[in-house]
Amino acid sequence: MAAFGGWTGKTLRVNLSTGTVQVEDTIARYKDVLGGTGVGYKVLWDEVPARTRAFDKENKIILGTGPLTGTGAPSGGRTSITTIFPAVYPDELVATGHMGGGWGAELKYAGWDNIIIEGQAPKPVFLAIVDDKVEIRDASHLWGNGIYHATSSICQEMGADTQVAAIGQAGENQVRLSVVMTGFSHSAGGVGGVLGSKRLKAIAVKGTGSVRIAADKKEWKQLIQYTLSIMGANNQHVVPSTPQPWAEYYAPGSRWTARRGLYWGAASPAVETGECRPEDLHRMAYRTAKATFDLGPNAEKYTVRMGGCVSCPIRCHSHLDVPAVEEKYGFSRYAASTCVGWGGRAFFKSFPDGARGQASIEAAVVGKHLADDLGIWTHYSQLQRDFKYAYDNGLIKANLPGSEYRSIPWERYDNGDPGFLKEIYTRIAYKQGEFGSAMGEGSGRLAERWRFPAEYYKQQGTNWWKMGHPKHHSSEEGGQTGVLINMMYNRDCQCHSHSNFLGNGLPVKIQKELAAKLWGAGAVDPDGNVTPMNIDKARFAVWSVLRKELHDSLTLCNWMYPLAASPLRSRGYEGDNGIEAKLYSAVTGDRKDAAQLDQVAERIFNLHRVLTMRDMAAMDMRTRHDTAPDWVFDYPPDRKPFTPGHYKMDREDIDSARDLFYQLLGWDKKTGAPTRASLEKLGMKEVADRLERLGLLTA
Amino acid sequence: MAEDKDLLCRIMDRLGLPAESSRRGFLLSALGVTGVTAAMAWGQKSEKAPFVILENAAGILVTDSTRCVGCRRCELACTEYIDGRAQPALARIKVARNYNFGPRGQREGFGRSAGEFGNLRILQDTCLQCPHPVPCSVACPHDAIVADGKIKARRADPKKCTGCRLCLHSCPWEMMVFDEQAKKADKCFLCDGKPECVEACPSMALRYVSWRDLTHETPIRQAVPAALRDPKAAGCIGCHELNLERGHRTAPGAQ
Repeated sequence: MAAFGGWTGKTLRVNLSTGTVQVEDTIARYKDVLGGTGVGYKVLWDEVPARTRAFDKENKIILGTGPLTGTGAPSGGRTSITTIFPAVYPDELVATGHMGGGWGAELKYAGWDNIIIEGQAPKPVFLAIVDDKVEIRDASHLWGNGIYHATSSICQEMGADTQVAAIGQAGENQVRLSVVMTGFSHSAGGVGGVLGSKRLKAIAVKGTGSVRIAADKKEWKQLIQYTLSIMGANNQHVVPSTPQPWAEYYAPGSRWTARRGLYWGAASPAVETGECRPEDLHRMAYRTAKATFDLGPNAEKYTVRMGGCVSCPIRCHSHLDVPAVEEKYGFSRYAASTCVGWGGRAFFKSFPDGARGQASIEAAVVGKHLADDLGIWTHYSQLQRDFKYAYDNGLIKANLPGSEYRSIPWERYDNGDPGFLKEIYTRIAYKQGEFGSAMGEGSGRLAERWRFPAEYYKQQGTNWWKMGHPKHHSSEEGGQTGVLINMMYNRDCQCHSHSNFLGNGLPVKIQKELAAKLWGAGAVDPDGNVTPMNIDKARFAVWSVLRKELHDSLTLCNWMYPLAASPLRSRGYEGDNGIEAKLYSAVTGDRKDAAQLDQVAERIFNLHRVLTMRDMAAMDMRTRHDTAPDWVFDYPPDRKPFTPGHYKMDREDIDSARDLFYQLLGWDKKTGAPTRASLEKLGMKEVADRLERLGLLTA
Repeated sequence: MAEDKDLLCRIMDRLGLPAESSRRGFLLSALGVTGVTAAMAWGQKSEKAPFVILENAAGILVTDSTRCVGCRRCELACTEYIDGRAQPALARIKVARNYNFGPRGQREGFGRSAGEFGNLRILQDTCLQCPHPVPCSVACPHDAIVADGKIKARRADPKKCTGCRLCLHSCPWEMMVFDEQAKKADKCFLCDGKPECVEACPSMALRYVSWRDLTHETPIRQAVPAALRDPKAAGCIGCHELNLERGHRTAPGAQ
């Protein structure tokens, strides 16, 4: 029997150039970075030459699960896909796309922890994995087709219950904004083009094996029940959105939207979401009625049910049946997605029947089908914002040849016709004309190519953050904490540790009480009343990124974890900061407490850091990488930082935020680079040595 | 092996199956050597009264597909809490196989069948705890599938199971599972009246209720080979004829 539970013990390495398949020992090579992003960063650091570009044959792409993936650890169904990321600008640097669904779990059941893809196939192929049998199969019949067709066709070839992760035409055509998608709605942003450059259409998996739980069965069940008992709704919101008989508090922004009289209206017959008391674990799946949250009250009657990933009791993907979509636009009436996945409607400035009317729902569904079938990444809706910005400022007209501009039926756009989306998405997926070629490049290259004015990078509404990417829960969520987190990554930061806590709906007084035990009470400000930087906020920021890396490596969902708060009044709303460590220890048998596991996460985060430095050929991360856009400091123009009612930051204050953040990680204050001491503390002497050889280690 | 073939011919004759050599060869190769041994066992036993389960189970799992969210926590609870490992292939409740396209599979493509890629409805398959004649139990050459404990759930006894896998082909609803580690067949035994899957379901899509016969309203998933459908039939006739003589129209135990 394997030494540890959780891991299957095997990592698959596939070289598409030579058509060879190798098996590696996960424990021996990767246990100290767990899985997921940890393995991804390590492989890129160890094996990919510095300054490799995303679509180079030398780039590798790592699909990583972790020890918890495929177990009953709640919300452990995720996969991290790490590579040199096409949309990072101007240098192409390391980043990760993440997907949920059932693919990662199936990979584990097939006996594999991770897949490392290298090289480039001479012709289109897909990878067929059935337990320990791995084949590189011909995909010429799939190439040129969408994700839906590829998924369906592979299921015909391998069995209806196959888990398929595929790219669409956008990925094939190496559109930078393209995805890998699995299931009907789970896509990993930004990484599709890398598979396209390798001519790898899909990775299909069927597994009949198991993931061993090291803990005793009773102990494991108790831990699961305990974990479930402190979980909230989506994003670990712990109070309901409306007053409920059982609830002491409520907050309109909460995703705990279930209530009496709110239905899954298109279930046949309809099902009431009802009163979902925290202690009723048989109603957890109803807590988050996400369709009405995302799309407005009209979406209730279209909701068939909620769905989501394997093992997750909190269902955040709305499943809709909108018959009009089939009748009017020829797309399937059935659709599933969540949040920005419904962003087709966000291209439009208005609809004939209002922002949350029927047309907006139809646009959401049409947009979902186009994006998910063609495999386009909407880049946390930056694609939509950039489109509107360009349109409003005459930049589309200015940059397209006249004939191309006239070939686009703009009156349909102005009239809010959801069918117009086909024009946008199809052109992008096939890189048609100037419009299609430019829009799919991502914010950085698009803005440069179409000569967006300097104001674009400075205006708040564009959401531009840096390096070609938008903000993702930044200054508006935790002030300096949000800013620090957004500065650390090469794509939009995809970190929810901080925003989950700050958005959990509890009164600030209680949030401060909980924060006091974790990072210090100063970590939390009353909403819209940002106070100057302090060490508590720096601790909160460090904790947030380390937990994000931990979740992306274990894997656990960073839209649910950490469980810093709980919905239980009896616990004073306290969650359990050690829950990840408890789950990890029980599954693997490798007993670690929260601090020890955070240290592993710190190792992973440092790998991300040195990899970024290597590929930027820069030591001075402070000024060259850890930056924030001007709007953070300049909006609203008529207000002073640290006065109520806004989130305006102060430049000197953010400088001190950097100081404290670096200090907590033992990084060099002047440059923000890891030091030999900080790396060796994490058992990364070889990394320090290599950094020194590259001339990137601080004296 | 020649002796095995002769015995098989005798058994087939008794069951009224055609005994020409091609059919024999087919059956032999289909069953494999273990299968032949198994065939011998039931052939010999059928001389006497066969082992059959007559009592009905006390409880049954019922499913609500309008509530199922496809999280598969039921499958995970089943194998983690009973077997100590996460292994949906071994789960005695089945959701994954219907998840993508529903029970009818892929052939109709996207948007045309059930499942995540169809009309979004997820159908859960559970053991029907069949009434007499219990197909898996009837097919078992070792009488390893028995009515167990107070609730009389149909349960596979690992001590009797030889791992021949005949039962896997005998269940029209494909609810038998096979543990490749233990080399034993297994099935839902209702957790002795406290089903883990029901406890684990976050949407109340599963309930444990008093037994009723669902066999006539549940579409089957596989055709069961004739040889497995009634291997004990020859031995059954005595009981059923006796019953007819007594003026009953049904078999003993049926309700």
